[in-house]
Amino acid sequence: MKRRRLLQSIAALPALPAAAQTAPAPAPEFPKLAETAADAVGQPRGRLFGRDQMAALEKLADLLMPKAGDRPGAVEAGAPAFLDFLIGESNAARRKLYQDGLDRLNSESARLYSKPFRDASATEAKAILAPLAAKWTYAPPADPFARFLKEVKDDLMQATINSRVYAAAVSRRSRSAAGMGAYWLPLD
Amino acid sequence: MAKTYDVLIIGSGAAGGMAAWVLARAGASCLMLDAGPLIDYDKQRVMKPVYDLPYRGFGKPGRFPHVTQASEFDANLWADEKQNPYSYDKSDPFYWVRIRAVGGKTLRWGRASWRLSDHVFKAKDHDGFGDNWPIGYRDLAPFYDRVEPMIHVMGRNEGLPQMPDGNIQIDESPDSESVKRFIAACRKRDIPTTKSRRATGTLASSTNLLLPAALESGNLTLTPNAVVREITIDPATGLANGAVFVDRRSKNEYEVKARVVVLGASTLESCRILLNSKSTRFAQGLGNSSGTLGQYLFDQFYVKNVVTAVVPEARGGKGGRGLMGGGGYVPRFRNLQRNDRKFLRGYAWDFGGGFTPSPRYLPLYGEELLKEMNELQGTGFSLTTMGEALPRKENFVRIQPDVKDEWGIPSLHITQKYGDNEYAMAKDSMETASELCTDAGFQVIAAHSQMVPPGESIHELGTVRMGADPKSSVLNGWNQSHDVRNLFVVDGSSFVCGGVQNPTLTILALSMRASEYILDQRRKGAL
Repeated sequence: MKRRRLLQSIAALPALPAAAQTAPAPAPEFPKLAETAADAVGQPRGRLFGRDQMAALEKLADLLMPKAGDRPGAVEAGAPAFLDFLIGESNAARRKLYQDGLDRLNSESARLYSKPFRDASATEAKAILAPLAAKWTYAPPADPFARFLKEVKDDLMQATINSRVYAAAVSRRSRSAAGMGAYWLPLD
Repeated sequence: MAKTYDVLIIGSGAAGGMAAWVLARAGASCLMLDAGPLIDYDKQRVMKPVYDLPYRGFGKPGRFPHVTQASEFDANLWADEKQNPYSYDKSDPFYWVRIRAVGGKTLRWGRASWRLSDHVFKAKDHDGFGDNWPIGYRDLAPFYDRVEPMIHVMGRNEGLPQMPDGNIQIDESPDSESVKRFIAACRKRDIPTTKSRRATGTLASSTNLLLPAALESGNLTLTPNAVVREITIDPATGLANGAVFVDRRSKNEYEVKARVVVLGASTLESCRILLNSKSTRFAQGLGNSSGTLGQYLFDQFYVKNVVTAVVPEARGGKGGRGLMGGGGYVPRFRNLQRNDRKFLRGYAWDFGGGFTPSPRYLPLYGEELLKEMNELQGTGFSLTTMGEALPRKENFVRIQPDVKDEWGIPSLHITQKYGDNEYAMAKDSMETASELCTDAGFQVIAAHSQMVPPGESIHELGTVRMGADPKSSVLNGWNQSHDVRNLFVVDGSSFVCGGVQNPTLTILALSMRASEYILDQRRKGAL
């Protein structure tokens, strides 16, 4: 049956009896169901960084991008776990930069304070993070540790600002939808 | 038997779109082939929050090593480099930025629309370097006059010889105080400034400004997903008689026939098609009797954010619309009357203010950084340099027969590097921009002269250049092949040199002029 004739025949049907009219309306044939993204329901499983590396990254996240008032920091935004995933997906050079950088945080802390970086105080950490006080240059620093610190600072900030909890906090404050954009679906 | 069209148009961006607009509306039966799909804006795009993207807005690592413009939101719009490979010498990367869809790069262009002047067309007369174009400003001016209203260009006419006035809507918007201060600093050094000059409208693409009218004429057949392998030649006459293309999805191969072929597939794709169109008559590529096909590749070098400054009075949220916001353009000002610098030619700047400087410029972290970022909200003022890269024979493309794209078509190897002239210009632009910002009372927080890699400006030009002499050029002054009179190449590959002006407006004007010439020649029976 042609679509038009089908619609005409439906329109021509007599009204249903009162009892039938109170029955629940049938669900639409192509419903739009509510969905919830994976990172809103689950905790990402570790991918690249070892336990000590992850502990150092979490400490670093708290130092570099702390919670400020009602704005979540990198830890609240799950940035360390996200970077574990992102860097795990990246090329070997970037993975090495990160892994060596996190190891260096721990080894420097052990050398200076005889404890892992996660247990260093903010004042103690400042000495280790001294390369972040260097003046900006276009070329990345030659020292891999300094380069790691510059990159992780940028990455933690972006991972935080682009997170669900950060967007929610900003939206609550400004009543505007934060971080929305037009997404291009794959072209056929 | 398949139809023989009056004109085959390869490519649907600025160049091909304008050719279709002129030719189809004048009654020529046209077939347009484009390598990519036809985009349905309503179906292809959905609004999403960045946190719902798989990579939180960072994009899939390694997917676009050369397309710095790609974001995770629009990643699917850019040409996939695995399907569309190319190569370069490891020490000299070339960033080839492509969109393969109907409309081409007009779907995402920056819209800056400046006319070239005789400082470009007759550049050799000014400084002795390179070659003049075979045409001058007077030849193209009537076409600029007609193109500008079509794409709704808005800006300001300043009467500058290096940046001719246009047939444009006049931008009467007032300048903010910070912009006025910068302009005053420029004026003290006789450096001109003006408003940005851009195409306006929600979309300023061939898909909404050119192709609808061409299709409405009933004379344009648009075939997307047609990846052209080569242009075919009638061995009896030596004239182009059509093309062979591969269907993007099925990979089936087809032949089409036409009396005239107009190539507008973008600078490097057009050159690639010609180099791949080999025959007994043209063993080194179609229309390449000069041997220059593929040579004289150039672009405009960019120094992005050559200077980033802070307007001190705007700190702590005191900026507001009166002090901050807005921007403008500094047309080329070096070497106009005489060559008095250590380099040839010159550069321009885009400038603007009112943004928050990137935290990466600040040697801080943690609470100190957040506090300072709060202070600096909306205080930023920056400039980006766009400089002329000299066209040189040693910058070229060639076919690498063993590396083929997904459709079995040999790919390009690209060689382009910047020389001392570009480096000297970039350095001068950094020093001068820093001085101007300081003179304006701004605090410079970052300055550098590092050019982005060749190609990244998406202004690659040349390789199928025009010229008066068939021994040193591929096309004549009508964008017509010296060797094959019914073959026209109407995109940026035809440029002899490029100045500092964004090229799309000139591509549109050249394509309009060449297309009207085709009509004229057909009326006279010469094509």
